Amino acid sequence: MNRLLIILLLVSFSFGSLSQEKILLSRATVHTGNGIKINQGLVGIQDDKIILVENALTYSLDKEVWDTIIDLKGKHVYPAFFAPNSNLGLTEIDAVRATNDYDEVGAFNPHIRSLIAFNAESKVSATVKTNGVLYAQAAPTGGIISGSSSVMKLEAWNWEDAVVKADDGIHLNWPATLQGGGWWAEPAPKKKNKKYAEQVTRIEDFFKAARSYAKKHDEFDQRFDAMQEVFNGEKRLYIHANELKALIDAVDFSKEMEVQFPVIVGGYDAHLIARELIDAEIPVIIKGGHELPQNDDDPVDMQYRLPKMLKDAGVKFCIQSAGSMPTMNSRNIPFLAGTAMAYGLSEEEAIRSVSLSTAEILGVGDKVGSIEKGKLASLFVSEGDALDMRTNDVTMAMINGKFLNLTNHQIKLYEKYKEKYEEN
Amino acid sequence: MVRSLFVFIFILSAFLSFDGIAQIPVPENGVESSEPTSYVLSNARIIVDAETTIGKGSLVIKDGRIVAVGKLVKHPAGSVVIDMKGKTIVPSFIETYSSIGLPDPSKTKWSPRPQLESKKEGAYYWNESIKPEVNAVTLFKSDQKASKEYQKMGFVVAATHVQDGIMRGAGPVVALGDVDSREAVIRSNAAAYFSLKKGSSRQTYPSSQMGSIALFRQAMYDAEYYKENKSCSPRNLSLEALNEQLNAPMIFEVEDKLEIFRARKIADEFDLNFTIVGAGNEFERINELAALEDQRLIIPIIFPDAYDVGDPYVARQISLGDLKEWELAPANPYFLRKKGIEFAITSKGHKKASDFWNHLHKSMENGLTREDAIRSLTSVPASILNISNDLGSLEEGKLASFSIFDKDPFEFKNAEIHESWSIGKQHVLKQEPLVDIRGKYRFSIDSSSYVIELKGQAEKPKGSLTAYKTTVDSSQTPPVEKLDTLKIKVDVTVERKNANFHFDVSDDYYDGVITLNGQYNQKINAFIGQGMLPSGRWIKWTGIQLEKPKDSNKEENGKVVIDTADIRKIWYPNMAYGFDTLPESQTYVLRNATLWTNEDAGIVEEGTVILKDGKIDFVGTGNYSIPADAITIDCKGKHITSGIIDEHSHIAISKGVNEGGQAVSAEVSIGDVVRSDDINIYRQLAGGVTTSHLLHGSANPIGGQSALIKLKWGYSPEEMLIDNAPKFIKFALGENVKQSNWGDFQTVRFPQTRMGVEQVFYDAFIRAKEYQEKWQNYNDLSPKKREMKGVKKPAKDLELESVWEVVNSERFISCHSYVQSEINMLMNVADSMGFTVNTFTHILEGYKVADKMVEHGAGGSTFSDWWAYKYEVQDAIPYNASLMNEQGVLTAINSDDAEMGRRLNQEAAKGIKYGGMTEEEAWKMVTLNPAKLLHLDDRMGSLKEGKDADIVVWSDNPLSIQARTLFVFVDGELLYSDEALGMHQQRIAEEKARIISAMLASNKRGEKKRTFKKEKKKHWHCDTLGEEAH
Repeated sequence: MNRLLIILLLVSFSFGSLSQEKILLSRATVHTGNGIKINQGLVGIQDDKIILVENALTYSLDKEVWDTIIDLKGKHVYPAFFAPNSNLGLTEIDAVRATNDYDEVGAFNPHIRSLIAFNAESKVSATVKTNGVLYAQAAPTGGIISGSSSVMKLEAWNWEDAVVKADDGIHLNWPATLQGGGWWAEPAPKKKNKKYAEQVTRIEDFFKAARSYAKKHDEFDQRFDAMQEVFNGEKRLYIHANELKALIDAVDFSKEMEVQFPVIVGGYDAHLIARELIDAEIPVIIKGGHELPQNDDDPVDMQYRLPKMLKDAGVKFCIQSAGSMPTMNSRNIPFLAGTAMAYGLSEEEAIRSVSLSTAEILGVGDKVGSIEKGKLASLFVSEGDALDMRTNDVTMAMINGKFLNLTNHQIKLYEKYKEKYEEN
Repeated sequence: MVRSLFVFIFILSAFLSFDGIAQIPVPENGVESSEPTSYVLSNARIIVDAETTIGKGSLVIKDGRIVAVGKLVKHPAGSVVIDMKGKTIVPSFIETYSSIGLPDPSKTKWSPRPQLESKKEGAYYWNESIKPEVNAVTLFKSDQKASKEYQKMGFVVAATHVQDGIMRGAGPVVALGDVDSREAVIRSNAAAYFSLKKGSSRQTYPSSQMGSIALFRQAMYDAEYYKENKSCSPRNLSLEALNEQLNAPMIFEVEDKLEIFRARKIADEFDLNFTIVGAGNEFERINELAALEDQRLIIPIIFPDAYDVGDPYVARQISLGDLKEWELAPANPYFLRKKGIEFAITSKGHKKASDFWNHLHKSMENGLTREDAIRSLTSVPASILNISNDLGSLEEGKLASFSIFDKDPFEFKNAEIHESWSIGKQHVLKQEPLVDIRGKYRFSIDSSSYVIELKGQAEKPKGSLTAYKTTVDSSQTPPVEKLDTLKIKVDVTVERKNANFHFDVSDDYYDGVITLNGQYNQKINAFIGQGMLPSGRWIKWTGIQLEKPKDSNKEENGKVVIDTADIRKIWYPNMAYGFDTLPESQTYVLRNATLWTNEDAGIVEEGTVILKDGKIDFVGTGNYSIPADAITIDCKGKHITSGIIDEHSHIAISKGVNEGGQAVSAEVSIGDVVRSDDINIYRQLAGGVTTSHLLHGSANPIGGQSALIKLKWGYSPEEMLIDNAPKFIKFALGENVKQSNWGDFQTVRFPQTRMGVEQVFYDAFIRAKEYQEKWQNYNDLSPKKREMKGVKKPAKDLELESVWEVVNSERFISCHSYVQSEINMLMNVADSMGFTVNTFTHILEGYKVADKMVEHGAGGSTFSDWWAYKYEVQDAIPYNASLMNEQGVLTAINSDDAEMGRRLNQEAAKGIKYGGMTEEEAWKMVTLNPAKLLHLDDRMGSLKEGKDADIVVWSDNPLSIQARTLFVFVDGELLYSDEALGMHQQRIAEEKARIISAMLASNKRGEKKRTFKKEKKKHWHCDTLGEEAH
């Protein structure tokens, strides 16, 4: 019922327009995303920015300055959560090929750009926002180099409007040290990938050629051109790798190729090479707890404990959606953070792992990801602890100071049928 | 005709001790060939059978049979006497499982279009994998080349059959070696062969192991019916052959220890006696195997090779299960014998004789005794094939089929086979040289002499000589003379008693090639001969032995030493997290906890639960007495619930979750293929799940029967199955059954639309009703009246029996469903047939028709929040469970996913978020409600005295994101605990390190190794189609 109240409230703010109004979110528990929790917090917003973050108990508030004060006593305010390495906006229905726009033909596709396929009106995204996940890194998949991802708002008029950071990085799928395994209906044993060295060499050759292109070239080459920013630091290089040997090689590779901002995606064994990752300043986007251990012998709670293990080791990390349907399941990202909390992270560390840490790793941490003065006003209000399924109830959310309409196809159906039964 | 003879031969075989050797005269071109007909092999060590070995004796053979054996025997007049000094005669090993002399099964070309019906023309069974009519003896041709390797292993007799299909037909016992096809067949239809693999058949059915099992059973019932109604049935050659084979030895091949029990279950149903060809991992379920009465096995000894563990990155990924199997497999025969299980050994899987012998010796070193080894290769297989009168020992009257070794191969690993005799015919496998010239010699050649050493094998020695050359270093003043020693290779060939030597020398005497030939005199160990010097001059030479050959083959080195001291423990299951010994049910008192009773008492603070004899003995806050020997656990601050019940799961299943080969497969049962060594059992136990409903997939409208199991990690499938569980069956609707997402070629099977699905149901139910009426009519009549009226016993149809149980409300439906149209359709169909759909599972649009479901009486088991994976889930909403629940639908939340099954408490908690359930309501979604849907609520689903002690102790409110399981009990046994997890992990790490270092040592010794393979784990979902019956 809170939701309805808020919607009414929104209407009175002239919903959708960028207001010159100054809005104050008052007396909520504010989780800033950078590790701080303010029990009676004040968050002031003007235009698209956060202009004030204070503790109500110590700050002397001049109510006259604010056009609207929203009292959120007993509620929680969080920075917008992120869905990194995601197909959000690039797919609607797994089994319907016509709706899938994330996997292009070809092995080396650095020139492929996900953002132009991004569906700002995605029905899947609409069910993700309502749980507090307001940004996604729309990432292509497939091949050896899948293409460039972009960081996108999940509420926008079109993809140009949605872009937070265009072409933030290129995705490289590191060869697996084991291969085979058949397909899901006919599993076969996995074998040592005998072509591993050859495949790594192939990647090296491509990178070397791309680097030479930077120095001098006569003819324009789409692929090599797209690679340049990986070497000058404008783009990140997301290296998807999980197994220990692959991780070690990927770290060596990025040093050797002078990749400015390498990021490991996956990192199942990352806790085993913490030292190397720290030395090379490589962060890791790990899969959340909704993933089975990769080996029979692994601890049954391996994935649940990984965030704490990395935290203790000092590796910078953030959490991505996981499981058999990670796109649709992005709405469970708050609970992946919650599980990390149950297995050792503090509450604020867990929140950071799906907000500020993600924003930093994706290169947008200066603008979004936390509730700090000067940052874009992208945040949400939950009636209770947003990391717990029972209490995650998002009743208000905004991106860049703009309130979101928190409804979706599913809520509409719910209300429609609830009404049907109430009538009877 | 052969077939009709078969039964006759079989029954009379006890009396026909000389059949197969009295030859029918064959016209010859010219005068009859001259061959000796009797032999005396004297002076030999004779292994007569496992118990009897004659130190120095003779074996007398006449016309292909043994006529005498012993220390003192009469030599028949005119017999050829062969001195076997020092050699050992071993009765022929008998191979029970081979395809020697038979063509490979031909496979028809693969086509992307499914083939639903049999393409085999003729009066045969309707399924191509059922082919008992195959009569291998009619296809048999003697194959000397293939025989050779078998002979080197010691097999001169083999049973052979076409290794293709589920019912494979009969196979003969044949003599191996250079024996004419006309003489080779010892028994024509010695045994019939079976398996659970469909083989070359391209027919869609069966596509799973449970389908193979059902098909096997149906064929058996069809054969029974055929026998009783032969006069009025069209002839069916397959069923005729099958009926005849029921009297013969039946040999059933399986691929895993668990399949032995599956085969045995079939045998018990039809009162048959299968000898089961195992997989070599029988020890992993040794206790259950020992409990089977009179279960004879044929086991392979093809032990896994060590992995190449040179690369530590690879080594760390090898699972403990694989490592433990590598370590313990060579002791498989030992474990079996220790439990008194009788088995024959097959060479199955070996291409090379040397590997077979390596493995046999390895299994002896791991505890298989000499007597058991001999028995399992001779008398046991003879008895299995019912040919003990002719073979299996070297007793008088038996066929003269045996092998001759230079020493006892059961005592010495370096024993070599020299000859094998097949039905009296000698085959020399290794020609022994007449002389052994090895040793050190001085060769005197003209003016010079050389010391030559001859080493290696007697028949092909290798030589080397030492020569000296003086060199002058003229750079020094005065020049210095130096004597260089030259080591020169000598080529040696031996022919009868002569030897040729050939070497290239450049020393103080000669420069060029010297060629020598000489005859060896054994009495004085010397050569005398002639040769040619580099100059071309012929000379005489002598070679005098200086030293005897050094015995590199010291007998002590080759001795087989049996040592069982170091054999490690089997874990149950034999993999990570397995138990040494299974935990026992004990009495536990769990005190001071918050109890989620799921009963009227609701949530009780500071309560106590007592578990005793596998049941809940006490629940509440009142007074209780602590039983003697009870283990008390203080659970202050903790929460206790009954175990989670997953209404929809596909873990712990072998070889296929779907029998999608036909639209209706009600005859198949997941209960036949429960797999107890799936790690997901342990993982889900760790998530608080104690009971799972293992469902057939959703590939067809009427799927298969389900299994209800407790997650009793460590136990056998039989022990996991819930006793007297209610019967369930999977139905399915929508995209999967109409094959919408299976690609463009899958457009053949009916139905392809939702319209067709309805008709499949009507057709099945009407057929089932007719079937039932037929039986009713028959059962209602007395035997006398049946005869008078001519009413015959109807044919048994496993599919329709199961469908009839549905119509008759004895078997409950769990129906995969998504959209409202099809949900209403099935309820209408059920209403018109007079039964209720028990559960709609998935039921993602249940919220749209909740009122109708209540009216019909159906329950719903759904996902908390899954959607977007296919078109028919577009209107799926996470509020579904709440809406259905509010309307009074009995609602559960399930996983259908090995990963989600680990955290169903979290999924239940989403019911609070989406639609505002109370905490108690939400918790019932994964406990009491599924128990009710499964008709198990009288024994589980709540904390109530007398119910099963399936209990979880949680660190926190179980619906909280913070909740972790601390203790999980199933039937009062503590099968998982947070504390034990750490202990397990340390134990796993130590065990892995120990075995990997043993493997590394094996690598270093140069033993065979293989590159790493990691089994892809089978995570079934409803949609998983498996071509698993191949």
